[in-house]
Amino acid sequence: MILLQSHSRFLLQTLLNRVQNLEKAVELDYHWVEFDDVRYHILVSMKNPNALLLSVSLPIPPPEAVFMGGLPFGAIEAIKAAYGVAVQILDPPRDGFNLTLKLNLGKLPPDEEHRYALLVKIASVREVVLGAPLRVVLKHLSSRTVIPGIDGLLAIVHRSKESFFLDPQPDKVTVVFPMRFKDSVDIAFATSFLQEFVEARRTAGLNNAPSCLWSPTPPLELKEAPAEALSANAGFVSFVILPRHVEGKKLDRTVWNLSTFHAYVSYHVKCSEGFMHTRMRRRVESMIQALDRAKPGVEGRKKSPNSRSFKRLSLKEV
Amino acid sequence: MDPTSRPAVVIDYGTGYTKMGFAGNVEPCFISPTVVAVNESFLNQSRTSSKANRLAQHSAGVMADLDFFIGEEALTKSRSTNTYSLSYPIKHGQVDNWDAMERYWQQCIFNYLRCDPEDHYFLLTESPLTAPESREYTGEIMFETFNVPGLYIAVNSVLALAAGYTTSKCEMTGVVVDVGDGATHVVPVADGYVIGSSIKSIPISGKDVTLFIQQLMRERGENVPPEDSFEVARKVKETHCYTCSDIVKEFNKHDKEPAKYIKHWRGIKPKTGAPYSCDIGYERFLGPEVFFNPEIYSSDFTTPLPAVIDKCIQSAPIDTRRALYKNIVLSGGSTMFKDFGRRLQRDLKKIVDTRVLTSEARLGGGIKSQPVEVKCSQSSYPEICSLVWRFSTSIYA
Repeated sequence: MILLQSHSRFLLQTLLNRVQNLEKAVELDYHWVEFDDVRYHILVSMKNPNALLLSVSLPIPPPEAVFMGGLPFGAIEAIKAAYGVAVQILDPPRDGFNLTLKLNLGKLPPDEEHRYALLVKIASVREVVLGAPLRVVLKHLSSRTVIPGIDGLLAIVHRSKESFFLDPQPDKVTVVFPMRFKDSVDIAFATSFLQEFVEARRTAGLNNAPSCLWSPTPPLELKEAPAEALSANAGFVSFVILPRHVEGKKLDRTVWNLSTFHAYVSYHVKCSEGFMHTRMRRRVESMIQALDRAKPGVEGRKKSPNSRSFKRLSLKEV
Repeated sequence: MDPTSRPAVVIDYGTGYTKMGFAGNVEPCFISPTVVAVNESFLNQSRTSSKANRLAQHSAGVMADLDFFIGEEALTKSRSTNTYSLSYPIKHGQVDNWDAMERYWQQCIFNYLRCDPEDHYFLLTESPLTAPESREYTGEIMFETFNVPGLYIAVNSVLALAAGYTTSKCEMTGVVVDVGDGATHVVPVADGYVIGSSIKSIPISGKDVTLFIQQLMRERGENVPPEDSFEVARKVKETHCYTCSDIVKEFNKHDKEPAKYIKHWRGIKPKTGAPYSCDIGYERFLGPEVFFNPEIYSSDFTTPLPAVIDKCIQSAPIDTRRALYKNIVLSGGSTMFKDFGRRLQRDLKKIVDTRVLTSEARLGGGIKSQPVEVKCSQSSYPEICSLVWRFSTSIYA
């Protein structure tokens, strides 16, 4: 697995399970948490087995991000556009959550293919909700306009109390990620990973990818950003998104990949650490083998099954 | 935000299946086979060609160290192509291949549970006979590679016993009979402490049941493709097997009404895609019978499971024995055969009663001993899990 998938595997599995056994009423009550502090809660009661309540709580937004009624701007419209009649937004949401969706399992499309597509879409509710502002901006980019009323920098939450920044212009959007890591080893890994990332972009065959830059200091686009957003211990990554990157079907993928860029880097940092440990283990094993071979006289003392393995003490030696 | 506000992650890795999920739920999120499929084609190339290696990888669109699958995906991948080879990281309840195990955990965390390991406490399980070194190694991987904030490694039989704790009775004394896929342990626990010297292990486990069924089907000449026969035997074991009270009677029943007892298995040959079907007959009850009459399977080990349990309890301190007989908890996948608990209870009761009778006869019949109560209860999986889940929250909260 190189890229993170946009749907939550467990949510999709639960939904499919539920849809396949619709006539069997079961009670469901699950809580779980995904990376970047997105929490889910799913509830089905015996009384009404066709209705499924899905609650989502989002990471706590930093002060600079624009939130309306607990959701990023554009989220409500995005939900309505993505899900249609099968899903209803409950207001107010359940306690402790930002959004509660009521899913009517009886109203799903009857044919297999469409139903599956819709369920996958519901399982990627995180992409729809958290990626909504980014989607709006990129939509405008594909028609080469700027959203009226927004000028300058736009902050979008992607982790708890952290955001990334967009600088929308009619012909390009610059996306800047301040990268922060907790562990010092992680910081070192992430820094070299990101430099390698920029380097890899320059190779032939990736000419059409968005251009990408890494710098240890805040880039010029961020000069209006609040000071606390500028403290990043693993530098800043910026991508320049052009209209050709958001044409048609590419839009969904671009939105997802950008909004989970931090999780993507952190996943690869962990994987590289694991890979290095594997290499280290192999090396230790080979060295131990070399040491074992170097021990003198092992062949001479071949133990016969009834020879004693301990040395008998005699009184003279004591 | 500190990790205590989030549910702990629980990964219970067994030889056959791994159960993973979050604390506070009734069931694990995923139950998947503990198997890793690794793409070997890029792994073992010499170091001198590393540049070329990288280019080759790039053109193939893979990164060798990330090109692997776990669980069901691994099984389907290895069946459809030849580039992946399967490895089972756990053998007989002990981690055997640490590289594969680390990869398995990596996928569990990032692909299945999709959580950030830095945000959650972790609860892992181990078998009662795990060496401290392997526990240390587990901790090393968890802390060094995944940066988990906290880790607890619990003995799975204690957790199984604790599964009954939250309901009406509050007992932490009992014998846990844990029959997993790779190992079978009989673990006496007194007041929550494992009596280490009395732990008994027997070399017959769920996998042997599968192998036995495979052997029976092969000897009868059923039409199963050889490369698939182990998987078919496993499926047969999981879906059709049950425990009988008496083999001879069961044979008669099968012979009288074959239509009622013989089941059919339909499958598709993995290589050619051609459908096939076969019958499932005596192996339905002969499979689980391996635990009660091991001599039908192997000549090396012939002590039946009830006798092992009895020996285990007899070796425990004398003041705990009565309580141990009273609370025998079955856990693990291979105790889920229908009526397994009842059969075990009956056989064990028989052994205990004979011993009581002989001792009474020896003492001249003057003393009447109080009858020993033998009771087996199934610690069914959801319960264990919920307990494991709840247990973990209570440790950290």
